[in-house]
Amino acid sequence: MADAAATAGAGGSGTRSGSKQSTNPADNYHLARRRTLQVVVSSLLTEAGFESAEKASVETLTEMLQSYISEIGRSAKSYCEHTARTQPTLSDIVVTLVEMGFNVDTLPAYAKRSQRMVITAPPVTNQPVTPKALTAGQNRPHPPHIPSHFPEFPDPHTYIKTPTYREPVSDYQVLREKAASQRRDVERALTRFMAKTGETQSLFKDDVSTFPLIAARPFTIPYLTALLPSELEMQQMEETDSSEQDEQTDTENLALHISMEDSGAEKENTSVLQQNPSLSGSRNGEENIIDNPYLRPVKKPKIRRKK
Amino acid sequence: MPLTGVEPARMNRKKGDKGFESPRPYKLTHQVVCINNINFQRKSVVGFVELTVFPTVANLNRIKLNSKQCRIYRVRINDLEAAFIYNDPTLEVCHSESKQRNLNYFSNAYAAAVSAVDPDAGNGELCIKVPSELWKHVDELKVLKIHINFSLDQPKGGLHFVVPSVEGSMAERGAHVFSCGYQNSTRFWFPCVDSYSELCTWKLEFTVDAAMVAVSNGDLVETVYTHDMRKKTFHYMLTIPTAASNISLAIGPFEILVDPYMHEVTHFCLPQLLPLLKHTTSYLHEVFEFYEEILTCRYPYSCFKTVFIDEAYVEVAAYASMSIFSTNLLHSAMIIDETPLTRRCLAQSLAQQFFGCFISRMSWSDEWVLKGISGYIYGLWMKKTFGVNEYRHWIKEELDRIVAYELKTGGVLLHPIFGGGKEKDNPASHLHFSIKHPHTLSWEYYTMFQCKAHLVMRLIENRISMEFMLQVFNKLLSLASTASSQKFQSHMWSQMLVSTSGFLKSISNVSGKDIQPLIKQWVDQSGVVKFYGSFAFNRKRNVLELEIKQDYTSPGTQKYVGPLKVTVQELDGSFNHTLQIEENSLKHDIPCHSKSRRNKKKKIPLMNGEEVDMDLSAMDADSPLLWIRIDPDMSVLRKVEFEQADFMWQYQLRYERDVVAQQESILALEKFPTPASRLALTDILEQEQCFYRVRMSACFCLAKIANSMVSTWTGPPAMKSLFTRMFCCKSCPNIVKTNNFMSFQSYFLQKTMPVAMALLRDVHNLCPKEVLTFILDLIKYNDNRKNKFSDNYYRAEMIDALANSVTPAVSVNNEVRTLDNLNPDVRLILEEITRFLNMEKLLPSYRHTITVSCLRAIRVLQKNGHVPSDPALFKSYAEYGHFVDIRIAALEAVVDYTKVDRSYEELQWLLNMIQNDPVPYVRHKILNMLTKNPPFTKNMESPLCNEALVDQLWKLMNSGTSHDWRLRCGAVDLYFTLFGLSRPSCLPLPELGLVLNLKEKKAVLNPTIIPEAVAGNQEAANNPSSHPQLVGFQNPFSSSQDEEEIDMDTVHDSQAFISHHLNMLERPSTPGLSKYRPASSRSALIPQHSTGCDSTPTTKPQWSLELARKGTGKEQSPLEMGMHPVASAPLSVFTKESTASKHSDHHHHHHHEHKKKKKKHKHKHKHKHKHDSKEKDKEPFTFSSPASGRSIRSPSLSD
Repeated sequence: MADAAATAGAGGSGTRSGSKQSTNPADNYHLARRRTLQVVVSSLLTEAGFESAEKASVETLTEMLQSYISEIGRSAKSYCEHTARTQPTLSDIVVTLVEMGFNVDTLPAYAKRSQRMVITAPPVTNQPVTPKALTAGQNRPHPPHIPSHFPEFPDPHTYIKTPTYREPVSDYQVLREKAASQRRDVERALTRFMAKTGETQSLFKDDVSTFPLIAARPFTIPYLTALLPSELEMQQMEETDSSEQDEQTDTENLALHISMEDSGAEKENTSVLQQNPSLSGSRNGEENIIDNPYLRPVKKPKIRRKK
Repeated sequence: MPLTGVEPARMNRKKGDKGFESPRPYKLTHQVVCINNINFQRKSVVGFVELTVFPTVANLNRIKLNSKQCRIYRVRINDLEAAFIYNDPTLEVCHSESKQRNLNYFSNAYAAAVSAVDPDAGNGELCIKVPSELWKHVDELKVLKIHINFSLDQPKGGLHFVVPSVEGSMAERGAHVFSCGYQNSTRFWFPCVDSYSELCTWKLEFTVDAAMVAVSNGDLVETVYTHDMRKKTFHYMLTIPTAASNISLAIGPFEILVDPYMHEVTHFCLPQLLPLLKHTTSYLHEVFEFYEEILTCRYPYSCFKTVFIDEAYVEVAAYASMSIFSTNLLHSAMIIDETPLTRRCLAQSLAQQFFGCFISRMSWSDEWVLKGISGYIYGLWMKKTFGVNEYRHWIKEELDRIVAYELKTGGVLLHPIFGGGKEKDNPASHLHFSIKHPHTLSWEYYTMFQCKAHLVMRLIENRISMEFMLQVFNKLLSLASTASSQKFQSHMWSQMLVSTSGFLKSISNVSGKDIQPLIKQWVDQSGVVKFYGSFAFNRKRNVLELEIKQDYTSPGTQKYVGPLKVTVQELDGSFNHTLQIEENSLKHDIPCHSKSRRNKKKKIPLMNGEEVDMDLSAMDADSPLLWIRIDPDMSVLRKVEFEQADFMWQYQLRYERDVVAQQESILALEKFPTPASRLALTDILEQEQCFYRVRMSACFCLAKIANSMVSTWTGPPAMKSLFTRMFCCKSCPNIVKTNNFMSFQSYFLQKTMPVAMALLRDVHNLCPKEVLTFILDLIKYNDNRKNKFSDNYYRAEMIDALANSVTPAVSVNNEVRTLDNLNPDVRLILEEITRFLNMEKLLPSYRHTITVSCLRAIRVLQKNGHVPSDPALFKSYAEYGHFVDIRIAALEAVVDYTKVDRSYEELQWLLNMIQNDPVPYVRHKILNMLTKNPPFTKNMESPLCNEALVDQLWKLMNSGTSHDWRLRCGAVDLYFTLFGLSRPSCLPLPELGLVLNLKEKKAVLNPTIIPEAVAGNQEAANNPSSHPQLVGFQNPFSSSQDEEEIDMDTVHDSQAFISHHLNMLERPSTPGLSKYRPASSRSALIPQHSTGCDSTPTTKPQWSLELARKGTGKEQSPLEMGMHPVASAPLSVFTKESTASKHSDHHHHHHHEHKKKKKKHKHKHKHKHKHDSKEKDKEPFTFSSPASGRSIRSPSLSD
């Protein structure tokens, strides 16, 4: 209960960072504030003529007071924000009080009453330090065309572009090295995983883990896996078909490539291999007129079936 | 063993010129084959055949047909039930009771058994009796229609079912069936006249599941649903007369592809493979065009079909108008290495369509003509497609193969002539099998036979020119096609058969040249020529003194007399000289054209007209000779060993433009490990114009030279800088470029160089660390992402390279191989192999080339002692269900393990697989590999060699492989390799209690059948008495075996001979006769037949049976008498082998007589006596022989 009050008590100050369950500075702060409120309640009670009060009733009254003040703060903030400001003005408070059904006019008289008690200011406790999240550089001041009441710019890191120019790895050797070791690592990890999760064979009787071989498993139709290109290869084939072996990474290859074309080596084979796509294209057109006994429809059995 | 069967065949040959005379008393004109039910689940086939037959003799009462495996339910002739007898002596060649284990005996018996059913001799397994009601009909030579209902259950040969065990209907599972076999094997799946010389027209009907396609010969006339619409019937008509042996069938859920260029050509493949089929067959039309153009003849059939099936028997099988291929020939556009191989297979099968299918052979001895022509025109296609270099390289390769084989085995005879009057001697006595019949031929011999045939065709071409050659082919084809269109004149059809004499006659008609000497040398005679050449330059006379010697005494060689071309490259040019090789002239003087003048700077003209600059500083100042070549055109089947100086070989390598010469010089340079050789080879390697295969072999030669020069070698390891320069990045020489295989020459070189480099060894005989790192880097940096082609072959070769780098482990006290003492280099290698092998499971490569290489590499590591030797891994990969290439590689490793570790268990495992594996090719291959890498050989002591193994193998070839000719011959080869021709040395000597046996035999001879139990008892009774002695007997023999090898053989021979005689007594039916054995034991006799049998002429065999029995009965006493002297001096046969061979001649006679006639028992006795007296004469000699000490302890003592 006390906790809940303590949390709520933070409302009046206009800072909304109090919901933190931090132990030391914030707690102290809340406790101090509450103590002040209690003193206020007590003095009011004294003013009203009470000799003594039960702790519970003082607490209750403190709670009510706190709620009231919090509500004033909350409401005032709303009014202030409604007019696109961040700091409440007096009129905000007035409107709030009016809204809450408080007769504002009575306030100056009440403030000047004779029997009022003056309470000593509460001991100054440090406002809890909100941990600075990221203070990256100075907040920018408003440019002249922005009114000063407008909110400040947020921390620069949220909007400032800081291009980080790390030199890209362009060294061919390193690239190749990296690609090779990456692939190797992936392959090893993958095969090890497969080996770990499935049956294995081993080259050494006493050791099954150093060189684990995935167990040979016969296929029902072995020729399919052996003959059909894998999906990867198919994909690759399509890719290379479209972009005819461009060697940007390795200029030497390109040179070689050209020289090979010049030599016209095995041109017969390559030309046939390359011809292929066009071939299948032309075939499709003709297919309709092909008369081949295997394409003819199957006949219905004759009624008179020959023996 | 002369047989009745051979006689008519021989007559054919003599009359060959005048045309074909059928060995059969009838002419087959038409045959219907109808298979109306095929059950894939049970692997069975039900159907009938109907043969339309015209008798050619009046008294035709029995018709013999071929049929194996088939169960025959009913035979009707013109709708009348006909009795028939079914007997196949090849099922069990030697009878099980026989204790014979001698290969000589087996081969003779096997040849006899095959001849006994040989359709070319008018024989057959199925003998049908013409019902007496039809005799009159027959006398008028009127047509007979023979209707045979048959079924086939779980066929072991002939038809092969492939039924994957997955869910779904048979079509969904990709189940299929196809016909297969070696030579004429059609009898395995339907009754027919299974001869290449009996042509007829065909009607073929196959009813199959509606989801399946039946592909067969001829035109598909129509496809009709059955009434329930669940099946359909394919009706085929083949109007071109065709031999039954060229009939084939393939049924399966095939995908159909009509050839886009030739709509009458249809391709079939198994489900899912259509894209591959499209690519693979896209080239076929060019082959068609080529053949049609050179033969100036259209493809003879109206359609052509290619079927690609799994578990193929052979890669390519050609049948009339259709070819059956292995599905493993299919490939995608990304595959480089398989493409030329597959195209070669396609071209080969198409060549055989013309010669082999359309034109068939008259008899087995004419086979060489067909194989020769088809091989020859295939060679022309090669020349056109792959270029002259590839062609010449291929010819050289083939020549080397045939030469090596003939020198090893003693000769390949293309045109064997049998049984001529005095030609008692077998034309192929050096072989362990008979060449009288294709089915007795070793597979290796047959492949070599084909190889020689096409080489001889090439020789004929050299003689008469290609133009005439093609004219001859055209003539043969046009004759045949005229004949084939004579639908109703079946006598004309024999024009479609080719015979040796007909072919030769055509040649002489067309070319007007006499090629008889050539034919005599290469066709009628076996053997190759072996030349040794050396020379000296006579400066005074300016003459090259060439000496050419021949070795014609070693087995497999023959003497060459005739012209021989010699090419001499001099400074002034290249000059051809034709020398006459004569009987006694060894030296030949060849005048030189150029004076030696080396200071003049002038270009040197080469043979092809090119003029080149040469650095002549290396050559001999006095001699103008650059290099000399003997028989550069390979116009003799020869091996040349020529001596010339190393610099001459180097010039030859650098400047001779013929790839064969380059190849030869590379081979020769191996013997000259000098810096100059190194330079020449390196230059060749770098030369892009040079033929890639030459460059590839230069790699290996360079590795060898580097190893010989190891102590003086300077610079980086051989080829390393070269490879770096050619294939690595300029900026970082340790990294290979990303793969780009657009240039195939570079690709092949890139593949080969590391493999050769891995063979390099340093002074410690280890592979240099630098090389290993280099190869590992190649693997590491291999990047194929941008390549148009697959790199699977490349990666596989990298693993081969790793395997090549392995050297034997240094082992301390034979410690057990464990991980801890693993060599760090080997650890790296193993790491790679493990990764590759595992990746294959996830991303399999084409044809699993990488797995294959990994398995080989693991075996290498095992063999070198780095990894514990263990066959378990290989055995798991050898199981059915793996891709066939993997299985073969794994089996090869197991075979090797069996040899190295002498493991009986693994040998048994292999033998078990030979008997039970579902794939015929694998079974064949295991036998083949065991023969090539045998666990032991005949002169070797091995714990594996024991009686049980002998029995097992004997059983395998005797009866276990009767369904597959090729397999049986493979088993014979293995038996020969392991035990030799004579009785295996590990067996106890056969029944030495000769007399005792004989007496017992006598007691049991008279009853018609010896009960098995009694026979067994006899043995049991014999053994105790004879065995103790045998033990004492045997040991000295085996110890002295090496020195007295020939003698041992003789002993075995004679023992074989003796026990053979005993067997004859025991059971009159020798293998040749066995078809006349009583039906009870092995012939399928149909009830209705048994009654009619006795009264009809079919009883003839039974008579002869009786006669034989009588004969043997009478023989008893003389034989017994004869045996006593033998017993007293049994080892007299140690003297000479000739006696033994004569003996076998004698008993061949006996066979013959038994079979033919009842006469001349006495003749036999005479022989016997002669034989005895001979032995007596030689007795003193025997005693002086080293074995005489033992000979005293003759078997007679056991009596």
